[in-house]
Amino acid sequence: MRSKRFEVLGARPVNQDGYVTEWPEVGLIAVDAPADPKPSIKIENGVVVEMDGKKRADFDMLDIFIADYGIRLDNAEQVNAIDSLELAQRMVDFRVPRAEVVKLTTAMTPAKITEVVNKMTVLEMMMACTKMRSRLFPANQAHVTNVRDNPVQLAADAAEGSLRGFAEEETTVGIVRYAPFNAIAIMVGSQVGRPGILTQCAVEEATELELGMRGFTAYAETVSVYGTEQVFMDGDDTPWSKSFLASCYASRGLKMRFTSGTGSEVQMGFAEGKSMLYLEARCLYVAKGAGSQGIQNGSVSCVGVPAAVPGGIRAILAENLIAMSLDLECASSNDQSFTHSDLRRVARTLMQLVPGTDFICSGYSSTPNYDNMFAGSNWDAEDYDDWLIIQRDLKVDGGLVPVLEEDVVRVRNHAAKAIQAIFRELGLPEITDEEVEAATYAHGSEDMPKRNVVEDLKATDELMKRGITGVDLVTALDRSGFDDVATSVYNMLKQRVSGDYLHTSAILDDNFHVMSAVNYPNDYLGPKTGYQITDEKWDQLKNIPQAISPEEI
Amino acid sequence: MESEELIRQVMAEVMAKLGSDQVAPGSTITAAAAKGASARMDATKYPLGEKVPDQIRSASGKKLSEFSFDKVRSGELTSDDFRIAPETLEMQAEVAESVDRDSLGRNMRRAAELVKVPDDELLEIYNALRPYRSTKAELYAIADKLENEYGCKVNAKFIREAADVYELRGRLKSE
Amino acid sequence: MDEKTLRSIIEEVLGEFARNSAGGGVSTLPRPDEVPAFEATLTQATGDELVITEEGPAKKGLSPREVVIALSPAFGGAMTKTITGIPHAKVLREICAGIEEEGLSYRFIRSFRTADVGFIAHDAAEYSGSGIGIGIQSRGTTVIHQADLPPLSNLELFPQAPLIDLETFRAIGRNAAKYAKGEAPEPVPVRNDQMARPTYQAIAAVMHIKEVQLTDPNKKTQALRVEYR
Repeated sequence: MRSKRFEVLGARPVNQDGYVTEWPEVGLIAVDAPADPKPSIKIENGVVVEMDGKKRADFDMLDIFIADYGIRLDNAEQVNAIDSLELAQRMVDFRVPRAEVVKLTTAMTPAKITEVVNKMTVLEMMMACTKMRSRLFPANQAHVTNVRDNPVQLAADAAEGSLRGFAEEETTVGIVRYAPFNAIAIMVGSQVGRPGILTQCAVEEATELELGMRGFTAYAETVSVYGTEQVFMDGDDTPWSKSFLASCYASRGLKMRFTSGTGSEVQMGFAEGKSMLYLEARCLYVAKGAGSQGIQNGSVSCVGVPAAVPGGIRAILAENLIAMSLDLECASSNDQSFTHSDLRRVARTLMQLVPGTDFICSGYSSTPNYDNMFAGSNWDAEDYDDWLIIQRDLKVDGGLVPVLEEDVVRVRNHAAKAIQAIFRELGLPEITDEEVEAATYAHGSEDMPKRNVVEDLKATDELMKRGITGVDLVTALDRSGFDDVATSVYNMLKQRVSGDYLHTSAILDDNFHVMSAVNYPNDYLGPKTGYQITDEKWDQLKNIPQAISPEEI
Repeated sequence: MESEELIRQVMAEVMAKLGSDQVAPGSTITAAAAKGASARMDATKYPLGEKVPDQIRSASGKKLSEFSFDKVRSGELTSDDFRIAPETLEMQAEVAESVDRDSLGRNMRRAAELVKVPDDELLEIYNALRPYRSTKAELYAIADKLENEYGCKVNAKFIREAADVYELRGRLKSE
Repeated sequence: MDEKTLRSIIEEVLGEFARNSAGGGVSTLPRPDEVPAFEATLTQATGDELVITEEGPAKKGLSPREVVIALSPAFGGAMTKTITGIPHAKVLREICAGIEEEGLSYRFIRSFRTADVGFIAHDAAEYSGSGIGIGIQSRGTTVIHQADLPPLSNLELFPQAPLIDLETFRAIGRNAAKYAKGEAPEPVPVRNDQMARPTYQAIAAVMHIKEVQLTDPNKKTQALRVEYR
């Protein structure tokens, strides 16, 4: 006979998740794999001749790149000789300024930094994150996608997302050839909700660069790096091709960050028996060496792998901490569904929400998860109020603000009409008034009329062949009476001339003022220092429409 | 006016070369010294677009301080004007170095060289740098072309280095 | 015991592993390197079993009216079922039926140098006379590819293996054939389930590791004869 208690437990959402025991020989282990190297570094005549127990002659491609570009060598031998526990203490101790810690961490080897962060509990890591985040204040990023790649809905969701407070918005496609429409739709829509939002379209590397060059995106994030040479090859890149790509983006005045995360190597079958965290540390030194201003990490799309093994969620926080300690912008994932359990998904996110990261989610699904084409986010549009109330409960700034229904309806409608006008002006397949109306009030793609996909795909192809650029979008908007949106898109294009937003952790406010780790560095030194929620901001965060005023009773 | 532009261009190229030939992090003093402390950008001038817009020009040579929406309307500003100039990337590299972000600065200098390279060609070179795409000779030829046609010295060196590493690691196109 | 019988037993053992893995809702899975005990079953000709024979290095096709289907290293061999337990034989039958519906022919090849579905599909496209190929991994992840696209791009990608049912496999075959004929078909409707990852990702990783262990960078892509039993 079965225990009724166990029957109930067995039916709980948490028991629908997949778990596996560790398999260290293939790297199915979060930290501390037996095959992880012991830290070491030897430098002769300015060249690294030994790193993490390996002689230069035995270096693989990643070792060569990291040794030559990724580590600050001037004090590397001294720093790596310091006891890891002491280094961990300095990272956690809020009296040691961030800049001082960065001098140490950027001189460590991948095995050393892994050992250092592995001395900490999650609480200590969170303390360290509060100090090590590059930008003074946190922000958030949204996913804007839908299962049918419907451009009208994309524009409306992008507008609502920026009104709700996201600083960046990211789209991707169900069908690759839709990419230009998706990129344009969220770029235009986002500016309606709040001017100054940065947008990107995650697709294959070369295509993504092309969209950026055209002026359809403001930045890129899908510049993936991996922790073993073989997986790097399977990702169809090398540290050199990725570095070159990073320079290509900068040469066109486009912001760019790399992407990596624990679990990708074991997921792709070539972890060489190393732990997920050690391999991720290697990724981060590659990103640093390539000259990327930042990284999206925190397992990202591989989260189901670390989440299935012991200590995996801790390892995810540890990798975020390593990223920020290398003085990189950290977009800290929280962007992929990994569990059926609401409790697990909140616990996982508190690790980044409480200390605050450059982008807590990268991103938060601005649609219901059935429309999330990143295969589901850890947070979706149906959680908006939960997120807002958690911010209010804990008095933390998670990047979102309460909104009024009428404002949301207004910006969705304006964005849908703006994209309708662009399609009309550029001779793209018609967006009907019915579609605009549907997008204004839609929750997800189930509420949208279907479009002629074949016609749309033909048009995206022609759009690219005709050489349409961001400036054509500006003039199309202007001609059709959307001069407000046109001005914003123009101002976004202008950013690429000054290049100010190429710097670490850069975002823009609604006046297109660039705020990055250069002019807003994190100066946290303990209680009442660093980023403090202002009274004005707190008023905004605490005033949720659901709350009843005692006078009304 | 044109000669001023030319001087600026040559200066930036020389700076870029001096600055990013240095592989080891932290050794960018040469560039600073060569340029002279007065002209060097740092975090106090940032954001450059707000604080020194008169010193920023697009790749096409137009002053950022003279950009306006009306000029887009009238067709005076076109797509080609929304391109960053090598000089601006050099200034941003200096800003990055002033806050101890040397590798970001190096990336910006490599980028400064690439401004002149057409979009299609950049995409081609990127694809050629992917694993198993090119022979060593093909990569060296790309490096030579970048160096001779566009003056991309640092990138050329970087691509030759990649070719050598690919050879060592068996990641070249098999012939 | 002849080779055929031996093969069918091995297939059964590994197939059992895949079935167990795909059970869903089980809180602890068998340790990946432990092969679960198998129950002996009579091998009857159900047509659900694949017999795949290598026929030497694959050749580039000349017919513009063919679609090449490339299998990953373990497909229909070391593994016999997708992540949700659909027999590989049924998967191939549906894809082929889809291609036949459009009046085109198909050929099979197997890639050994990689287990990555993007590259496998790109291989298929490169060997295909029409320039259109389909790549499929043991877990079921499928890509329709075109020879002149970058390997990690695609015409259509079905990344969420647990969501691909037999009807979708047939539609994939049909659409690949339509691309080969130069048509612009309506892409197979994209499906999305955000709870596929929590349930399946770790298992998918284990399946992939096992598949990767069968790759051989030095072995040329092979032409295959595929029979059903």
